[in-house]
Amino acid sequence: MIDLRLKVDPLPIVEPLVVRLLDQPVDNRTEHDAIILDIDGDRREYEYHGFSFTVYARPHESLDGDVLLVLPGQASAHRLIRANSNHNTFLVTEQCDQLCVMCSQPPKKYHFDLFDQLAIAASLAPRDAVIGISGGEPLLHKERLFQMLFAVSASRPDLRFHILTNAQHFEPQDAERLVALGSDRILWGVPLYSANPKTHDRIVGKEGAFASLERGLATLMRAGASVELRTVVLQQNWEDLIGVAEFIATRLGFISVWAIMQLERIGYGRMNWASSFKDTSADFEQAARAIDIVTARGLKAWLYNFPLCSVPQDYRGYAPSTISDWKRKYLDFCDGCGARETCGGFFQWYDHKEGFNGLGPI
Amino acid sequence: MKSRIFLIPSFLAAGFLPTKSDAMPIADAGLTKSPIPSILERLRLNHIFTLAGHRSHSSHRSHSSHSSHRSSSGSGYSYGGSSSPTYTAPSPSYTPPARSVYPTVPAAPVTPSVPANPAPLLSAPATIPAPVPLKPLPGNTDKFKRITMQVQTALTAYGYYSGLIDGQVGQACKTALIAMQTDYKLKVTGTITPEVLDTFGIAAN
Repeated sequence: MIDLRLKVDPLPIVEPLVVRLLDQPVDNRTEHDAIILDIDGDRREYEYHGFSFTVYARPHESLDGDVLLVLPGQASAHRLIRANSNHNTFLVTEQCDQLCVMCSQPPKKYHFDLFDQLAIAASLAPRDAVIGISGGEPLLHKERLFQMLFAVSASRPDLRFHILTNAQHFEPQDAERLVALGSDRILWGVPLYSANPKTHDRIVGKEGAFASLERGLATLMRAGASVELRTVVLQQNWEDLIGVAEFIATRLGFISVWAIMQLERIGYGRMNWASSFKDTSADFEQAARAIDIVTARGLKAWLYNFPLCSVPQDYRGYAPSTISDWKRKYLDFCDGCGARETCGGFFQWYDHKEGFNGLGPI
Repeated sequence: MKSRIFLIPSFLAAGFLPTKSDAMPIADAGLTKSPIPSILERLRLNHIFTLAGHRSHSSHRSHSSHSSHRSSSGSGYSYGGSSSPTYTAPSPSYTPPARSVYPTVPAAPVTPSVPANPAPLLSAPATIPAPVPLKPLPGNTDKFKRITMQVQTALTAYGYYSGLIDGQVGQACKTALIAMQTDYKLKVTGTITPEVLDTFGIAAN
């Protein structure tokens, strides 16, 4: 796995610090940059404003252009941006107003506002980077989030964002701000688990969630925003999948893409695995019909986190490699598989004993 | 003759606008343009289709966490007052600063020229076209400056430095640090290291 936290020797800081690591000075050097002084095994010493800043990393791992968040008194830094990855995500809050049965990042009570630091970090990202924003529910801190988005958009017009949100905290008047940010700058990833309000509300653990989601989607539509609808397939909503497809085809034709997703076995997803995981390698029929319905309507459907061998041949084209590099693994039988290069593999925490039954090399 | 009546409107309908068409009295000319796109405008908007696919919430989980149902340790960026080995005193829990790094009023952003297919992200930061990095928060800057001034004072007292006590590690200060580190058999870096602070008895808190 790729390390998202790196051991550091603490700096004398009084508030969270964002620092970009550089292997050599660059033309557009910023006051956030630390330049390498010395590498000794896993120990790398950088100069930051005349101070030594020591980071520990595996000897051959490139940290050039990476952006770290160092917190006062902590001996490890968060690797906010890995310059050679397109899977960089900022966790802007751990608070959430839903409690989804498959949540991979269960919410916490307290919020630490780091939007200022995250805005600096984004402004140091490589050119044309796509930065993920996740939570918790990012829109619980809507004003701060928009502040950050506007600040970064002004300083770095080349950057784009992929924001995961339950979309329930948009007000109609937010449409103007959304337009100002630009429909081609932000992709809003919004979960929808069922077209039946009761089922959706039950899965996300919040009464009235479906109704406020509909209002939020209306605002996104009015603003012409780019929307990726996300439906994790579960035992709880498997029979509703065609209903979701029809709902999208008739009501939500404005979306950019519909992502049908497999479950991630972590957080509540691990706790509720037995009662939630749907083995789509044994039964793919509903998913196939759902894809057919939205495709016939001219909409784009994708399968996220489906190993290719779990998908019938005709639908493998819908299953891009989507599992983030740093949490992806392959199983023993993948060694002999001809599709390994294009397959996203499995989550690091996938347990094959409780997983798909019908897999094997292609 | 009759056909002439329809000639121009049909040209217009086909999109052949006369060059002076801007001056034509259009129904809603003079009205303020609504910032919200009309339905037709929405259809022409340049949407993002091909982003990097999956992004799950668990991206900041600590690695130890998948051995248990859920782990509350280390997944977010929260931190409290833990003691630190070398540099800092226990820091109380962090209060968000009242000041902000953001430029005053964010102007409406210019239309970005985002390519349809994102370029590979391998390009070095060096190629970024004149980004405007946001300002660092002043708290740390002040702290660094204060410690640097203490180090400069000590270097002066020990006869290594005769420059300004300005809180900036400039070339003269680097040279002084190198000389001092050499004499004291410390690791020679030309920077302020924990060793330098220890040797001078400077507490960094």
